[in-house]
Amino acid sequence: MGIPGREYWRARPNAWAREFSEVMCAVFGVAVMGWFVPVSYHFFGYIYLLMVIALSLRVGRWPVLFAAGLSAVTWNFVFMPPRLAFEMPDVDDSLMLGCFCFAALIGGQLTARIRERERDERQREQRSAAFLHLTRALAATRTLDEAVEAALRQADELFAARTAVWLVDESGALVAHPASSFSPDTNELKTATAALHDGLRWGRNTEELGTGRSLHLPLTRAGHALGTFAVRWPGELGQLSSKQRDLIDGFAEQIALFVEREQLRMSAEREKLLLESDRLHRTLLDSVSHELKTPLAVLRSATEKLGTIDEQKRLTLTGEINQATRRLDHLVANLLHQTRLESGGLTPLVDWCDARDLIEVARRATGEALVSRSVKVEIPQDVPLFLADAVLMEHVLVNLLLNAARYTPAGSPIRLTAGWSVDQARIYLAVSDCGSGIAPELMPQLFQKFRRGTSAPAGGLGLGLSIVRGFMQAQGGEVVAGTSREGGACFTVSLPHVAHGSVPNDEH
Amino acid sequence: MSTETNRPEVLVIDDEVQIRRLLRMTLEEAGYAVREADTGKAGLEEVLRRTPDAIILDLGLPGEPGLEVLKRLREWNPVPVLILSVFGQEGSKIAGLDAGADDYLTKPFGGAELLARLRALLRRIKPAVATNLFHFGQVEVDLGRRRVTKAGQTLKLTSMEYALLQLFITHRDKVLTHRQILGELWGPKAETQTHYLRTYMLRLRRKLEDDLDAPRYFQTESGIGYRFLSETPVHV
Repeated sequence: MGIPGREYWRARPNAWAREFSEVMCAVFGVAVMGWFVPVSYHFFGYIYLLMVIALSLRVGRWPVLFAAGLSAVTWNFVFMPPRLAFEMPDVDDSLMLGCFCFAALIGGQLTARIRERERDERQREQRSAAFLHLTRALAATRTLDEAVEAALRQADELFAARTAVWLVDESGALVAHPASSFSPDTNELKTATAALHDGLRWGRNTEELGTGRSLHLPLTRAGHALGTFAVRWPGELGQLSSKQRDLIDGFAEQIALFVEREQLRMSAEREKLLLESDRLHRTLLDSVSHELKTPLAVLRSATEKLGTIDEQKRLTLTGEINQATRRLDHLVANLLHQTRLESGGLTPLVDWCDARDLIEVARRATGEALVSRSVKVEIPQDVPLFLADAVLMEHVLVNLLLNAARYTPAGSPIRLTAGWSVDQARIYLAVSDCGSGIAPELMPQLFQKFRRGTSAPAGGLGLGLSIVRGFMQAQGGEVVAGTSREGGACFTVSLPHVAHGSVPNDEH
Repeated sequence: MSTETNRPEVLVIDDEVQIRRLLRMTLEEAGYAVREADTGKAGLEEVLRRTPDAIILDLGLPGEPGLEVLKRLREWNPVPVLILSVFGQEGSKIAGLDAGADDYLTKPFGGAELLARLRALLRRIKPAVATNLFHFGQVEVDLGRRRVTKAGQTLKLTSMEYALLQLFITHRDKVLTHRQILGELWGPKAETQTHYLRTYMLRLRRKLEDDLDAPRYFQTESGIGYRFLSETPVHV
C-alpha cells in the first residue's frame, strides 16, 4: 500500500556497495571453482571475459571497470602459471588482459547509458503519478480548506513526515492552516517568515535547530507571496537529493497554484456579490419609492377632494384612503421584517402553538383581502401542539394568504390545511390555491427577495416569500413550494415536532 | 373639566401631536372628555392632579419610556390603561400588559377598534356582571348555579374549563396574557406552561364555539394571549 511517488521519494543511491560486493563475489567465486577444475588457464581467461560482459549488464560503469581490473589481477595470480604468484604476462595473455578492459569499458558504458535512461523514465513516471494523484485529489475538493487538507495528507504520506501550510491573511500575517499536521515552534515560524519575505528558495532551518528535520519553502505565484509550506521529518534526514527537492518543490507549486486559483475565485465572487448588492440596492430604491409614493399620492389627492365633494363620493374616497393606508402598512411591515432578517436581529420566541390559533389569527389579519374568497380550513383532530414563534408564524401565513389572493382570479377558493407528516416528525401548514400554479422557470428564484412573478399584478415589492423563508428558517423550519390538488400553487411550511409535557387533567 | 356632565374622562399621553389631535376628535365625538400630555412626566402630573377614568399611553415616548411611566403609575394608581405600540414590538406589548396595562392597540389602528377597547376597559370598574346570567351566541352561562347550556342543551364542563370560562367572562373584551391566565388558573409556578392553556382553550372552544376553524368568541392574540369577545367582533 502506498501512494504513487513513494518509490521515487524513497529510492536512494545506496546501490553501489551492493554492486561492488556482487562484483567481488563473482570474481572470487570463479577463482575458487577454477582451482579444482583441471583445464588450461586460457580457458579461465575466457570465463572472466564472459563474466565481465555479463556483469556489465547488471552493474554500473565503475563496478564493471573494477570487475575488469580485479578479474585481470585474479586471473594472473590464481590461474596463470606459476599459480599463486604474479608473473609478467606474455603477448597472448597481455592481449587477453587488454580485452578484459576493453570489453568492460564498452559494456559498462552501454549498460550505464541504458540504465540511466530507464531510471529517468521510471522516475518521471513516478513523479508524474505523484502529481497526478495530487491534482486529482485537489480537483475533488470544493473549498480551499478541503484542498489544503487533501494536499497536506498526501504530503504527509508521501514524504513520511508531518507537513504544514501557513497562508497569508488580509493583514499580511502568516496564519497556520488548521489542517497542518504539526504546529510550529517560534524558530520554525521565524524560518517560515524568512522563507516568505526573503523569497528564500530553501528555508531549511538546520542551523537554528541543529538538526536537519524541517524544511520551509514559500508558496509564491507570479512573485506574489501566498504563504509557506513546511515539512518536518521525525528523525534526521541528511542531505536531500536533487530529485527529492524537486518533488517537494513541485508539491509546493501545486498547492500555491490551487491557493491562487481559489483566492482569485473568491475575489471574483466577492465582486459579483458587490454587483448584485448594487443591483438590489437600485431595485430596492426604485420599487420602494414607487410603492411608497403610490398610496401616498392616493391619500393626498383623496383628502384634498374630501372637502369639496358630495356624500356619495366621499364614501368611495374614504374607501380609497383606507385601502392606501393598508397597503402602506403592509409594505412597511414587510420592509421591517426583511431588515430584521438581514440584520440578524431576529430571535424567535418559540412557545407551544396550536395550528388553529395561528390560522385563525392569520385569517383575521388579512382583513378585506380574503373577503371575496371562500377559505376552507382542514385541520385533523389529532394535530398536536408544536413549538413555534406565534408572531412569526402569523406573518408567514398572512404573506402566503395575501400571495394566494393576489395571484389567483378573484373569487377562487383558498385552502388552508394543517397536519402531521407521515413519520410524525414534522408539523406542517399549507396554503393552496386554485390559480394557474407556479411556472417551473420561476421555481429557482421563488424565495429570493425582490423577485416577483411575471404575472404579478402592480403593487408589492417581492419580499413576501423571502420573508416567509427567512422566518421559517429562523425557527428551524422550512418552506416548500409545490402544486396543489387543484393544479394551483401550494406552499407548505413545516416545523419539527416535539411532544409537549403532560397537561394536568381534571376530566372525570 | 368634567363639571358639565359625568362624561368619562380619558387622558392621552402621546408625543405625536397629530395622533393626539385625532384621538381627541374620535374620543370627543364618542362622548368622552379628553385631557392630553406630551411626555410621561407631564402625564403622571396630570394623573396626580385628578385621576382620569382611563389612560391611553404610548409606549414609544421620548425621554422616559412608556413602560417606565406605566410601572410608576401602577405603584399607586389602578386606573385602566390602554397602551399604544407600534408594529414589531411584541415584547414590549407583553411587558406592558404584565406591568399592569389593561389592553393594547397596535398602530396604525382604527377609531372603531379604539372605542371598543375603551368601552371594555371602562366596563371593568362598573359591576362586572349585572345579572347572574350571561349570554353569547347560543351559549348561556348561569354564574350563580355554575351551569352552561348551548342551544338549550346542558354542557358538561370540567372545573378547570369552567374556571377558564369564568375568567374570560369577568375580563370580557379585554386581552388576557398567557401568563395572567396560567397564573390565575394553575398558580404562579405554571405561568410558562403555555401548552396547558392551548390544550384547555381547544377543549373550551370545542364545546362552546359554533365553528372550531373560525372561532368567534375566543380570539387568539398572537404571542400575547386570548380575548373573549362578548359582542359582535369589531372588524379591523
